[in-house]
Amino acid sequence: MKNIIVCVKVVPKSDNIIFDPVNKRLDRTKAENQINAADKSAIETALRIRERVGGKITLLSMGPPFFEPFLKLGIAMGVDEAILLSDRNFGGADTFPTALVLATAIKKIGNVDLVLTGEESSDAGLGQVPSQIAEFLDFPQVLFASTTDISGGTLIARRSIKGGYEILESDLPAVVSVVLGAYQPRFPDFKKKKWADNNYKVKVWNGEDLQLSESVTGIKGSFTTVKRLVEIPQSSRKKIIIDGTPEEKSSKLVEILRKAK
Amino acid sequence: MTRKEIWVYIERNNSGVEDVSLEILGKGTELSNISGYILVGLIAGTPEKKLIDLVIEHGADRVALLKNEMLNEYSTDYFVNAISEYIKNDPPEVMLIGATQNGRDLAGRLAGRLKTGLTANAITLSIDREGMLLAGVPAYGGKILAEIGCEYGRPQMSTVRPGTFKMKEVKNKKGEVDEFIPNLSAIRQRVRIVERNVSEVNDLTRSERTIIGGNGTRGDLTLLKELAQLMNAEIGVTRPLADRGVAPRELQVGSTGYSLKSKIALVLGVSGSEHFTSGIRDCEEVIAIDVDEKSEIFNHCDYCMVGDIFEVLPLTIKKMEETR
Ligand SMILES: Cc1cc2nc3c(=O)[nH]c(=O)nc-3n(C[C@H](O)[C@H](O)[C@H](O)COP(=O)(O)OP(=O)(O)OC[C@H]3O[C@@H](n4cnc5c(N)ncnc54)[C@H](O)[C@@H]3O)c2cc1C
Ligand SMILES: Nc1ncnc2c1ncn2[C@@H]1O[C@H](COP(=O)(O)O)[C@@H](O)[C@H]1O
Repeated sequence: MKNIIVCVKVVPKSDNIIFDPVNKRLDRTKAENQINAADKSAIETALRIRERVGGKITLLSMGPPFFEPFLKLGIAMGVDEAILLSDRNFGGADTFPTALVLATAIKKIGNVDLVLTGEESSDAGLGQVPSQIAEFLDFPQVLFASTTDISGGTLIARRSIKGGYEILESDLPAVVSVVLGAYQPRFPDFKKKKWADNNYKVKVWNGEDLQLSESVTGIKGSFTTVKRLVEIPQSSRKKIIIDGTPEEKSSKLVEILRKAK
Repeated sequence: MTRKEIWVYIERNNSGVEDVSLEILGKGTELSNISGYILVGLIAGTPEKKLIDLVIEHGADRVALLKNEMLNEYSTDYFVNAISEYIKNDPPEVMLIGATQNGRDLAGRLAGRLKTGLTANAITLSIDREGMLLAGVPAYGGKILAEIGCEYGRPQMSTVRPGTFKMKEVKNKKGEVDEFIPNLSAIRQRVRIVERNVSEVNDLTRSERTIIGGNGTRGDLTLLKELAQLMNAEIGVTRPLADRGVAPRELQVGSTGYSLKSKIALVLGVSGSEHFTSGIRDCEEVIAIDVDEKSEIFNHCDYCMVGDIFEVLPLTIKKMEETR
């Protein structure tokens, strides 16, 4: 194997986001961040593939400088390198320019056999970036893989489908999106984490490094815009509390279930 | 030039067509009335006439048929090529695709190829006065609905979450069929299916009574199944259980699973993450049991019971049997 790229995004833990109904804005200042959960499964997938067939794993992320420490977490999990694609002009991107920036960086890295991503990011949850990276690189794509392996220069992936599963085979190089829960991601190595925090320098590329003009990245390169943010109304459920002894509770439950018939 | 049309991708499967495609046609009829856009069903392959009729009966004013045997089974390479070639010169205003796995696979890549905007997993759709499609997407774990519009690029694309809209049959509806035969002989299919194992499944979106188990069941669904039998209910699970293989993926309820419309849903040992609760929003009555009185699930149910399912369920089953 030559280069394996894992695309990762840093996302806010959704519980910490506060919606300000007056200004219709999101307050993310109190939000803790984390590597998108499915992307961790993608890192784990890459590490397992490298154990079997070798290769060099590079984490790739487009985002602001505060992403750096999270990429170092990836280094501590065992990846070889981390590159942050960061530029003021990249801000406000929808999936199209995001995928374009990532694909351009992947071309710049060169000699890539496999691009792994998470199935979707939890903050936007669009799951479009993987197939658009594939389109811009003209690579085949396999989405929603639960297991991914390389055998004899071919990619073999399994994915769940309605009522069962299917096993797909793909030419390389390819883009594969990995489902959340595909593999339990390993913990970062404590010593490596310390080393990376102090000594590892994340490579940073900007728009100029990628030779991408302002007009195709960030807000300017996006096709979609958020027209409105609306608070989803809280559920208007009755919230009737049923208490008592287990006996009493189960009697009440039987009554409710019977009534519904 | 764009056509003043709304196109709905009709996803075929072994038994005919995915429900979500007909559901979008149902919503599409409404959008078509508002905007004056013509509603078109896009079918690929060589389907039986029955299927074409079905699409028209569910509201399509016209069927666009991409006729080629190579399109009878989904593949990214063939489908993206055939569809983009067909519409790139005069794209429709709007193109809607069901957010199934293959639907999402197709939509993302097609939007990349056509250089247009795509919104994913919409749960609301409307068209404003300027003819812009607004697709509502739950963001940030489902606390907020972001209404997204495609400013540049046509078609304005969106995928639509299955189970969100209702299908409507339109009696005596007539519609024409436009045929186009794409040439795919030069396209290489780079991803191939080497094995497929599927069994018949019940469609959870149609389940009238559903018992849903979460992590609180510790992955043991025995009691749930017993109770399900007594009340003639279907079983559903949260994502962690589906991830662990305790139950197959099509029994997963939630934002990346199915949305239920059950009359009654019994939710057992589920913490009530928004990814989950979005899937039970349309249930008529929800009952939840959880050991933790602070569980978020209690904000999403009609009857809240703090208790241990391993204590309450055996008693409930016994009483159900006795009073049958
Ligand atoms: C992109 C993305 C998509 C997702 N999509 C989905 C989705 O479609 N569907 C989905 O479900 N999740 C989804 N999730 C995951 C979701 O965020 C939650 O992690 C998940 O729903 C939690 O499942 P749970 O409630 O079963 O488990 P937990 O959060 O572990 O909750 C278990 C609950 O059981 C209770 N309990 C424990 N023991 C007992 C007992 N003996 N009796 C009674 N109660 C007990 C506990 O108090 C707790 O409230 C998604 C996440 C992401 C990031
Ligand atoms: N800004 C980004 N930087 C790196 N990877 C990303 C970025 N955005 C999305 N991805 C990757 O694409 C996957 C799907 O994201 P999305 O299409 O936004 O749901 C994620 O799981 C990541 O692997």
